[in-house]
Amino acid sequence: MDHFLLLVWHAFLVAVFFAFLWRSGRRARTILFLKFFLIMVLGAILLGWIMFPFP
Amino acid sequence: MAEKDQRETEGGRASDGAGKRVSPWLIATAWLIPGLGHWLLGKRIRSGVFFGVVVAAFVTGTLLHGELAVPQTNSPLSWFFTFGCLGNGILYLVRLVFLNGLDGIFSSSFPYGLHGGGDPVTAGFFYGKTFLYTAGLMNLLVVLDVFDIARGEKN
Repeated sequence: MDHFLLLVWHAFLVAVFFAFLWRSGRRARTILFLKFFLIMVLGAILLGWIMFPFP
Repeated sequence: MAEKDQRETEGGRASDGAGKRVSPWLIATAWLIPGLGHWLLGKRIRSGVFFGVVVAAFVTGTLLHGELAVPQTNSPLSWFFTFGCLGNGILYLVRLVFLNGLDGIFSSSFPYGLHGGGDPVTAGFFYGKTFLYTAGLMNLLVVLDVFDIARGEKN
């Protein structure tokens, strides 16, 4: 089981969901999807790095 | 054109005819089967996407040996988790019957004593729970969206 793959899969599902829930029109949905997806994936990686020194 | 752009960006808010009565059957249907509420309202693409996303999240959670939330004695918070998980509609109900059997569901201790499945020893246990809860909460948001569309407050 790849933990990072699960993170990406979860981020993908949530990003698709909110893109279709909150936006209409292909362009607006694509932008929101990318925002959500990148914030969740990159944010998790960043948080992981910040937490790295802590036991 | 500017108005159209505004609507596209903000998810298509509509004020014409807002405040209509909404059939409770529509809301119940939207909850029971993810995406069906949008389908009945003619939003076919959104319906398919919501169905796909909720089912995919639920199946992933189940395959990861995640545990469905069930009411627990001496744990009031478990009712909140159960409410969130119950958002999965028929997926939750079928899984619960699969895990407990009809005898287990209708036992004298109902709603306590139900088995939520899952295997805490597996690495995917908490990931699975996250997927199951996420699926339920997403479907609850879908139900609210159906309510807004049916009232005419959103396109």
